[in-house]
Amino acid sequence: MTEEKAKGNADLPEKGTTVLMLGNPNVGKSALFNRMTGANAIVSNYPGTTVDFTSGTFIEGGHTYTIIDVPGTYSLEPRDAAEEVAVRMLRDSPDATVMIVLDATKTDRGLYVALEVMERGMPCIVAVNMMDAAHEKKITVDIAELQRILGVPVVSTTATSGEGVRDLAEMLRKAKVADIGAIAQRLRGEEQERESVRGCGGCGGC
Amino acid sequence: MLIKLSDLPFGERAVVREIRTSAHDLNCMGLRIGKELKMVTKQPIKGPVVVLLGELEIAMGLETAELIVVETGTDA
Ligand SMILES: Nc1nc2c(ncn2[C@@H]2O[C@H](COP(=O)(O)OP(=O)(O)OP(=O)(O)O)[C@@H](O)[C@H]2O)c(=O)[nH]1
Ligand SMILES: [Mg+2]
Repeated sequence: MTEEKAKGNADLPEKGTTVLMLGNPNVGKSALFNRMTGANAIVSNYPGTTVDFTSGTFIEGGHTYTIIDVPGTYSLEPRDAAEEVAVRMLRDSPDATVMIVLDATKTDRGLYVALEVMERGMPCIVAVNMMDAAHEKKITVDIAELQRILGVPVVSTTATSGEGVRDLAEMLRKAKVADIGAIAQRLRGEEQERESVRGCGGCGGC
Repeated sequence: MLIKLSDLPFGERAVVREIRTSAHDLNCMGLRIGKELKMVTKQPIKGPVVVLLGELEIAMGLETAELIVVETGTDA
């Protein structure tokens, strides 16, 4: 068994890429997690705390991802046990990709912790979830513009119906380290010439 | 007129002008300087204060609300 495992590890890229799902409480992280992992999730207790977290795996484009549903947090300066676990999980997996989940009806609040994560220099992808709710409330989220400003892939999803979840999984491999300085410049409208690639619609795919 | 958020009457709107407590804690919840808010609930005795910022409802202790300065009558 151990031998087999060791052999398997030798030609497979270990456990694949670790993906941490992070965002404000109640934005639909667990709903997205369930959509992506199906039934193979395990609940663990974070060592030394009463906080539980769920992890699972899925394969996309021949690549294995271990995905962790991190407790919801408003910031990376923890104010309670769950937030502290979120911060520790980020620290524990410095090589992980972070999937930042936003509530499309509350993007403004969610972007606070999103930018804190981006500052850490970890590869990121953003899921703008609850698109159905936003639509209902006549709130529009300019996904392309958000992607242009952040410089990382942004995918819109509705976890409850499954819409966009496939795209999100496919875009994971295109997760990128954000450039906070460049984001600030873009927000001030100081576009850098060489950043805008000609003929590119800014799909975040390169 | 500048007043403490804790003095904003129920149902009234105001714009956040100054945060004299940990701005970080409020900012990450979506409450920032320049934002317009509306007083939703004020409990009579030292109870929590709930304000509405767009789609967001934020609850805070009365002590926190006393440290936030808002401007009323901006017609925002
Ligand atoms: N309308 C709508 N509801 C959603 C969507 N995604 C999740 N929900 C609902 O939103 C609520 C919260 O979803 P969760 O997945 O538990 O949120 P979470 O981010 O895991 O929350 P925490 O674990 O507390 O941080 C649930 O009632 C979900 O059914 C969505 O895309 N659209
Ligand atoms: Mg959850």
